[in-house]
Amino acid sequence: MIQSDMKKTVLHAQQLRKSYGIKGNVQQALRGINLRIVEGEFVGIMGPSGSGKSTLINVLATMDKATAGKVVVEDVDISTMKDAERSTFRCNKLGFIFQDYNLLDMLTVKENILLSISLGKMKKKEVEAKFQQIASDLGILEIAHKYPHEISGGQRQRTSAARALIHEPALLFADEPTGALDSRAATSLLEIMEKLNRQRSITILMVTHDPIASSYCSRVVFLKDGMVYSELYRGSKTRQTFYTEIMNVQAVLGGDHVDPA
Amino acid sequence: MTTLTLRELVIRSMRSNMKHNYLYFFAFMMSTALYFVFATLANDSLIMAATFKDIEFVLLLKVSGILLVAIMIIFVIYANNVFLMRRSREIGLYQLVGLTRRSVGLLLITENVLLGMGALFIGITSGALVSRLFLLILLKLIDSKNVLTISFSSSAAIQTAIVFTILIALTLIQTLYKVYFTALIELLEGERQGDQPVRPRAVLSSMMGLLGIVLIVAAYLLSNQTLGPAFLLQILVILASIILGTYLVFRVTIGWLFYQIRRIKNGQLGLKNSLSLAPIMHRMKSNALSLTLITVLSAMTLTMVAIAYSLYYSAESEARAMLPYDFIFENNEHDANSFRAELESAGLTFVHQPIEAVRLTGRFGTGTEDRHSILLLAAEQLQASGADIVVPGQGEAIWYSGLRKLLSTERNFNFPQVAYLGTYGGYALINVSEGINRYMMNFNVQGSQLIVSEATLADIRQLIPIVPEQEIVHIDTYQIALMSDRAAASDYYERYIKADKYRPSFYAYYKDAHLKFGLTLFIAGFLGLVFMTATGSILYFKQMAEAEQERNCYTILRQLGFGEREMISGIIRKQLFVFAIPLVIGLVHSFFAVKTVSALTLSDISIPAAIAMTIYTLVYFVFAVLTVRYYSAFLNLKFIV
Repeated sequence: MIQSDMKKTVLHAQQLRKSYGIKGNVQQALRGINLRIVEGEFVGIMGPSGSGKSTLINVLATMDKATAGKVVVEDVDISTMKDAERSTFRCNKLGFIFQDYNLLDMLTVKENILLSISLGKMKKKEVEAKFQQIASDLGILEIAHKYPHEISGGQRQRTSAARALIHEPALLFADEPTGALDSRAATSLLEIMEKLNRQRSITILMVTHDPIASSYCSRVVFLKDGMVYSELYRGSKTRQTFYTEIMNVQAVLGGDHVDPA
Repeated sequence: MTTLTLRELVIRSMRSNMKHNYLYFFAFMMSTALYFVFATLANDSLIMAATFKDIEFVLLLKVSGILLVAIMIIFVIYANNVFLMRRSREIGLYQLVGLTRRSVGLLLITENVLLGMGALFIGITSGALVSRLFLLILLKLIDSKNVLTISFSSSAAIQTAIVFTILIALTLIQTLYKVYFTALIELLEGERQGDQPVRPRAVLSSMMGLLGIVLIVAAYLLSNQTLGPAFLLQILVILASIILGTYLVFRVTIGWLFYQIRRIKNGQLGLKNSLSLAPIMHRMKSNALSLTLITVLSAMTLTMVAIAYSLYYSAESEARAMLPYDFIFENNEHDANSFRAELESAGLTFVHQPIEAVRLTGRFGTGTEDRHSILLLAAEQLQASGADIVVPGQGEAIWYSGLRKLLSTERNFNFPQVAYLGTYGGYALINVSEGINRYMMNFNVQGSQLIVSEATLADIRQLIPIVPEQEIVHIDTYQIALMSDRAAASDYYERYIKADKYRPSFYAYYKDAHLKFGLTLFIAGFLGLVFMTATGSILYFKQMAEAEQERNCYTILRQLGFGEREMISGIIRKQLFVFAIPLVIGLVHSFFAVKTVSALTLSDISIPAAIAMTIYTLVYFVFAVLTVRYYSAFLNLKFIV
């Protein structure tokens, strides 16, 4: 706690509410969520289906508008922005990794990665240098000129990660990034994310239902019925210990992996 | 209960179909209406025959009708294929929720039949309504003062109904095939995914790409050459080379070019190119065939319209080049004088000029050609009759031949060259210094027309003794100042023409050509309209299908934070390529085709051809705008995040 006060706040959500539907049949997906993420944190969001984790990431990532409450990213209030402004903000400040990679089929790996900085006015040489750096970090330099359908799922997800990181976003959102990967590819991706987080102090917010994935995080936030249920900090614990703790909370929560009976 | 639901389904999906596919119905109705008009005109042969006398207009209309049906078959099948693809998920879902294939088939058939029959009915009705307008346009084109009335022709309606019912039946077969012979999983997946992108193989594709260009250029060069004796074979070779070349250009060359651009960009493609170059490049493989078809059709239409247009507008100058004098009498002073008297008594302004020409046999040209009849005309006499002509020097002649361009054997002449005049009795040599591509004397007067000075003519007459082959031809020429007077004079002239002699007057010849080419322009113009609409619509539908396939891509771009304006400019660039590539290739094709054909006509056809090409470009532009509108609306609508 002391630690987080000293560091810069990257994202601050206050009393976030989101409801769907029309009068008489309103579904409340978020019922007042407070969340504060500081620079260099690797936050995992967990919770059973319908707990509001997808809604939360959509609202935080400016892809959806909250019904009430406030979201501030790097001292900018994004909850009052217009659509076009939010698009620009999203493009410049945020990075995304999706469960199904969301790469463009007709572009090569390199073209996909460089697409997100194509609107900026960076020099060609700079762009190339950045690409070389991030592609070698993620181990996808050799497949730069291949098309997405020619490479493996893990490579695709690393491409997606490279695309999300190339413009040095303030915050990286990952929505079930390991959901479509086999365990080896998933482990490899998580290790890379952990490394990026530690070495380059990239701030990451990851939604996942997989306790193994969230054991790589520095903090895990549990949601239930649209509210924060509890939080776990990893601190100096080993990943194995942290994993066990996460499993315990999940058992209480009645998560995906626990038999409700 | 079931029937009610099915009926509701039919009505609902028909309504949404109408909204999305208005262009299809428009094209369908338009061609039905046009076919009906053609059929009506062809059936109303009695009235039309009176106007068009000997012209084979019924045949012309029938051939046009067949062309119309041919393009409609291509169009309808293509469009229906796109619609089925778009709806394949829906078809799959119906089956998934328990509808049998039979009832899904029934649903689609009912829909197709109702919509098709509706379009057919509206088409025939509007055809009947506008046929009067069509007729007015036709009459205007041929300057006819006859008032033609056409009544609703039920036989034409039946003919139209039969032809277009067969067309609808074709779509039904296609639809049923889709419903019955496609696996459910394929239906559900739809065709969201286009082809997977493949990198072109370096050597092979650059070779093939080059071959495509070589084939087209070779065809152009070949078309620029004189049509030889085996010109049919030559035309076939040109056509085959053009079509194959065009196909290769679409299939390989363009993809290869785009690939090179991407390689140079080295990954930094930018959004606009990512949305235009990349998808077009990857779709070329599957689109090559239809793009070739569209391009060849566009080129054909353009050529057809340009030629018809120019034939129509150059009818007068063409007639003038063939018949420099309004009326002539050859060796018939008696008739000539009485004609003159008639003109005088009618009070018409005219110029009468008698010309003394010499007709003899002789030969000129290369090698051992047969002797043929030569008509020697004195330049001074022609000048007196108002001809714009230079008097050749002593012993020199200028050859006036309107057929020079046509006949390749005569085209190979080199100037100057020596002509041998006369027979065994005596020779005269004369130097033909030049050949000019029109006639100085009405073309029906026998003999190749050599223009010499009066002195040269006198010399030749001295040199060559009087033999049966040599004769003095006395020609009385009449020029009438006003077009309106010519019509009256033509009536007088007609009476002197004996049934067995072909003696066209300028007026009659011009009128005949005007009529013939007016009808040709009428048909070519409307066929061109249908062709343009059909090819433009095919491109439009293609883009509808691609929008569907690319929807996911735009969703991703939105998620990444790209703004609408940037995406729309990407769409615009893509449509620019999609419409400009076939248009430009088609324009270049037709440019060379028109150039080849212009060699066969005496007058300049570049302006009418340019006008036709401009109209075509404008129509394509309209389609491109419609497509961009559809594309953007489609993507805004599906604002999924």
